[in-house]
Parts: sequence; C-alpha cells; structure tokens
Amino acid sequence: MDQRERTLLEAYSRGEMTAIELRRRLDGATYGEVLQRLAEAGLKLPRAPVAGREERIALARSWMFPHDRRA
Amino acid sequence: MTGALRIFVVDTGPLITLAVARSLDYLLFVDADIIIPDAVLHEATRDAARLGAQDIIDWVKAHRVHIEIAPTKAYEIYDAARATMPNLREPDLGERAAVEVIEEPDRLQGDERGVLLCEESAVLKRVVVRDRARIVELSTLDFLRILEAEQRIQSAERVFEAAEEAGRVASRVSRLDAQDAATRAAIRGLVKRRDGDDVP
Repeated sequence: MDQRERTLLEAYSRGEMTAIELRRRLDGATYGEVLQRLAEAGLKLPRAPVAGREERIALARSWMFPHDRRA
Repeated sequence: MTGALRIFVVDTGPLITLAVARSLDYLLFVDADIIIPDAVLHEATRDAARLGAQDIIDWVKAHRVHIEIAPTKAYEIYDAARATMPNLREPDLGERAAVEVIEEPDRLQGDERGVLLCEESAVLKRVVVRDRARIVELSTLDFLRILEAEQRIQSAERVFEAAEEAGRVASRVSRLDAQDAATRAAIRGLVKRRDGDDVP
C-alpha cells in the first residue's frame, strides 16, 4: 500500500471523503476491497455524522417502528 | 409479501458489512419487505467471494418469504454481455438496477414508504420527484443505530467492529473466482419475476 492510497483511506475513515469518491480514486475498487484495505491499514470504517443525518434517522425510525413515539 | 414499509437494499455495502459481521438477520428485525435488485445481490456476492458470499446466498434462500430479489433489465443485459466479456465491470450497475426497481409503477403504492439502505448512494437523486416524500436514505450504521435505540440489538458499534475484524481476516484469503459462475447461477435461481414465477 503506497502513501497515496493510505492518505485516501485515512480521509475516508475520518468521514472526509465519500465511499463513492474513494472507490473512484482507487481505480474502481469494490466496497469489499475497501473494507479489506481499511483493515490492512489498521483503519476503522467511518462513523462521522453527515449533514441531515439526524432528520433521516428520525423519519426512518418513525416508519420502521411506528408504535414508538420517541422517534 | 405484505406491509406498508419496504426496505430497498440499493448498494452492496449493507449486505457485505452485515454478512461479514454475521448480522444479516438484523435486516429482518423490522416489519418490512426487503427488496434487493438482482444486480446488487450479484455485486455483493461477487465482491464478497472472500468474505462470505455463500452466507448471503444462503440467507436469501432461507428468508424468501420476506426478501424479494428483483429482476432488472440492467442486470439482464450485463449478465448476457459477460458471456463474451467475463471480466466486464460496470461500476454503477447496482445503482442503475436500484433506480429501475424503485421506479417500477407498482412499487410503493398507496401510503407505502421506502427506506433505501445504502452505504451511500445517488439513487434518491435519480428517483422521480413524486416518490421522494415517502423515501428516505439510510446508511448501514444508522439503520443499526435505530435498532439499537429500539433495543432490538445490543450494539451497532459491535457490528461494525465485527465487520472490520472480518476485513482483517479476509485480506489473507485469495479470491475464489471459481465461485462466480455458481454465484450467478444461484442468483438466477433466486430472482422472482414480478408475476410471481421464478426465472428459469
């Protein structure tokens, strides 16, 4: 793994790059390959929040579990 | 299949992440029909050949009552082309197939709603405007966090840790290309025509 690839993976892991953008920059790598390259680099899957996420979660939760008024 | 909510798995990320974490059953913890476009299943099983493709196939077979593998023209054309170009790759095949499925006229009828489960996708931007109000995109992690909040699973974080651990193990195993033909045949066997007949 060269430094360029590691830099890209680190940016993805920090949530600074989308998976689509990462896969494009890695010459069309598949999601499974991304998962393995992250593991090889000792990096985590991204957990960072994205814009509008909380609203989407609340809406989806109310649809998935309509009995639950906490959503 | 019944229910007012449909979960469309529109890219490979959720299937691979949950499969390698041995957590595919979590998709069944919601009272909803699950729809997987044939091309997405193909890409996930092909991509996950070294991560557990057979697990995905077996899981779909075991839960056919709740899971529909939706046939698409996009995959049909791709599959035919691969007869002469075995190494053909179409990066946006799954996305095109997902759009095709979601936009079928008899999907999301009445007050039915759809959750697009994806790692990230531009699918929603390509869906016709009339459907956007009843469709929401959700990442695998956020789906898991909802289950955790509803106390259906213990920890979303633990699933991701398991997926990351599987990635480390899988990196030492070579791809089993010989599985590809068998995987494609299995997908053909799982595809259901909209009229209810199995695709031969």
